[in-house]
Amino acid sequence: MPDDVPPGPFPGSAAAPARAAGDGLATLSVVIDGTQVHAAPGETLLQAARRAGVTIPTLCHDERLAPTGACRMCLVESSDSRRMVPACRHPVAEGLEVVTDSARVHRHRQSLLSLYAADAPEGVKPGTELDRHMRTYGLEPGLPQVNAPREGRPDDDNKYVLFQPESCILCARCTRYCDEVEAVAAITLAERGSATTIATADNVSLLDSTCELCGGCIDTCPTGALVERKVAHRQDTFPSLKPVRTTCNYCGVGCQFDLQVDPAANQVVRVTSPAPGTTTNDGNLCVKGRFAYGFIGHPERLTEPLIRDASGELVPTDWDTALQRAADLLTGVRDKFGKDTLGFISSSRCTNEENYLVQKLARAAFGTNNCHQCAAT
Amino acid sequence: MTNSIGEIRNADCLFVIGSNTTEAHPVLAMEMKRAVLRGAKLIVADPRRIWLAGMADHYLQLNPGTDVALLNGMAHTIIAEGLTDPAFIAQHTEGFEAVKAQVAPWTPERASAVCGVPADDIRAAARLYATTYKAGIYYTLGITEHTHGTDNVYGLSNLVLMTGHLGRESSGMNPLRGQNNVQGANDAGASPIYFPGYQRVVDDDARRRFEAAWGVALDDQPGLNLNQMMKEIRTGGVRGLFVMGEDILVSEPNLNELEKAMPNLEALIVQDIFLNLTAQRADVVFPAACFAEKDGTFTNSERRVQRVREAVAPPGQARPDWQILVDLTARVGYTGNVGMTPSDIYDEMAGLCDKFAGISYARIEAEGGLQWPCPTPDHPGTRFLHREGPLRGKAQFIPVDFRPSVELPDPAWPLLLCTGRTLYHYNAATQTRRDQGVVDKQSACFVEVHPEDASRLGLDDQERVEVRTRRGAIEAAVRLTTRVAPGRIWLPMHFAEARANLLTVDAGDGVTGTAEYKVCAAQLNRLD
Repeated sequence: MPDDVPPGPFPGSAAAPARAAGDGLATLSVVIDGTQVHAAPGETLLQAARRAGVTIPTLCHDERLAPTGACRMCLVESSDSRRMVPACRHPVAEGLEVVTDSARVHRHRQSLLSLYAADAPEGVKPGTELDRHMRTYGLEPGLPQVNAPREGRPDDDNKYVLFQPESCILCARCTRYCDEVEAVAAITLAERGSATTIATADNVSLLDSTCELCGGCIDTCPTGALVERKVAHRQDTFPSLKPVRTTCNYCGVGCQFDLQVDPAANQVVRVTSPAPGTTTNDGNLCVKGRFAYGFIGHPERLTEPLIRDASGELVPTDWDTALQRAADLLTGVRDKFGKDTLGFISSSRCTNEENYLVQKLARAAFGTNNCHQCAAT
Repeated sequence: MTNSIGEIRNADCLFVIGSNTTEAHPVLAMEMKRAVLRGAKLIVADPRRIWLAGMADHYLQLNPGTDVALLNGMAHTIIAEGLTDPAFIAQHTEGFEAVKAQVAPWTPERASAVCGVPADDIRAAARLYATTYKAGIYYTLGITEHTHGTDNVYGLSNLVLMTGHLGRESSGMNPLRGQNNVQGANDAGASPIYFPGYQRVVDDDARRRFEAAWGVALDDQPGLNLNQMMKEIRTGGVRGLFVMGEDILVSEPNLNELEKAMPNLEALIVQDIFLNLTAQRADVVFPAACFAEKDGTFTNSERRVQRVREAVAPPGQARPDWQILVDLTARVGYTGNVGMTPSDIYDEMAGLCDKFAGISYARIEAEGGLQWPCPTPDHPGTRFLHREGPLRGKAQFIPVDFRPSVELPDPAWPLLLCTGRTLYHYNAATQTRRDQGVVDKQSACFVEVHPEDASRLGLDDQERVEVRTRRGAIEAAVRLTTRVAPGRIWLPMHFAEARANLLTVDAGDGVTGTAEYKVCAAQLNRLD
């Protein structure tokens, strides 16, 4: 029977009305940059603005995390406060007048970004959220470099997650993701003042911590301080790769991700998750989906058809010979013992189309229903 | 799943049973964590103290294989305390009286005596589940991989039906599919009893539909299920085997018997991406493309059909499985697939299945994935099932009685062995063991042993030990942990050099044939 529930936006996602907003009814009215916007009680200025198509830059904000207002990037002018307020956690109220692009706001953004730039001794990584903001708003005034003694974990020998403290701005998206989404609390803000850094308890390797190597910290990091170790050395890590949206081949959750392909090398060099709120996995991946793609171009992959020769060895052959041998063997069994002595094991690892073809091979070509697949037992 | 993954975060009660979700479905588990952090109540029933147990409001550490006793005890409480949904039962179900009579003697005390969960915990869990409006059940192989797996599922569905927890957002019955395309493989008819779209091979109308489309006469009798096929190899009932994308010599139960029988096969055709143990025994091996090298669709646990896209070219002469199948099918005399692309193949299937009839590559491209049922091109897809009442009209209550597992510990085989999966590897691990980062985290087989048992047997942490059952033996490193209860051990099935399935029993569920991977009797023996 028809079902009139429209698919998507994914419930609770960024695109859907916030659940925190009570019954979700937009009973309030605020004015943002001169335009009247309806909003629901409990919504933030940022949520109301985004729904109205108004861009407010953020750094420490991630739809999946509780807002903290830590980075100060989203400060806007609001009629209920003499000071500027962080849009990411300031609640809407009836009749508020909000200005997001005044000279004062602009000046603040430039100064703030100048501070972040002064704390990036290796320079800001190109292609990151921080870099995009700097390109949008500029750096004024230029400030001398500060020397923040943030420590990394040079002895951490995990193969996937690399922390480069010189690029960190302490927005704490990574630690909050680790607490609130993956909920394993493997990394935390440690030390004080300018030495504050992202650390594990006792600074052990992630391998020896509660970390499950989901890599969500990398995904949420707006500065590239957390990067995939496998590609950290590549200059083209962020731009110039060709993304191919596909479905993960491990478990049945069906996470969507982008295989980042180096076309010249015919190689998948990185896996990235789509933006939160756009697919079932809400921007999340697990250790296998995000990192365990080394099998794709692995040297042990089968590259030629094989048939068993007279001496009993498996030897390489061409496709024509292999297909004919397989056909002869299967039809031989059918002719000698009957069609129902053949069994066809399809695969829950393969596609719908391939499963359809296996059962069609069994049923239409051989007339048997002896067809099942590996998830059956 | 009757619900969607995105609905989990809005649930107010999650009943997770027989699913180590954070390891087997990590990203779906993130939604569960989000719900609990938001304030949802969590009930976890599992013989092992899994990660989710640590955040549960009620952790029910049941004896392995006693799910029916636990579920009947919960049903008893719900009925005895008047917590059922009489309107739902009257309008949408049949057979409630039979279940009511069946569970009447299953007081929580009696259930507790069997399943080991304190009676008051059974009551508390039952009350919480029954009285929460948005309450969903989530389960996987801990429920189904038993000789009474079907009974376990009926036990769960009885709870769903008597409380009316169906046909609503965040309320439903949610089996979490283990592999990327379990759902799709079943949907596409890789089944001895169903054509594509769950149309029965014994149904004359269904069969005529496929005969007309394919231009051939089709068999009207159900075929052998996988468990039966494996056993028929021993007796000569199966002489030729085609295997795509499975290492049966790692994944199937009671492997010593299967290995002995493999020479009986006169034809073994394998297509895979690596030369796995099964491929090494094959007469012909076809090199296949992996998921990143081909086009197609997978269907996830929430019935969402999503695209798989070619990102890189396959290595050497390897070809996509679909292409190999088109060619092989033509070689054996059926040319009806020649020239088809994956999109054409999907269209042919969708044209024969009302559930998928509205789905096409063009729509997936435009809309990013569609959830069946999706009967027409203008249908938006279905986020949760049974909205207007059960799809089949009246949902059937099925009374189930507790039956013990087929092989339980005794003085000679004193430990109860359960097998399963871990976060860092995937099934036969042909893929994950080829990426060093996960291997660093978990490089070899281990067996979880409770410290009390280890102390009695004189075993140290990390000591290598023999795990033996009546069928075979492997070696593994002892991992001392209170995740398992005394008297029980657990080990993963991922390691080809320490195959858990040399140990497991191949007795199958009477309906599905699914083997009892989760319970058998074992010994731990020191190696020195």
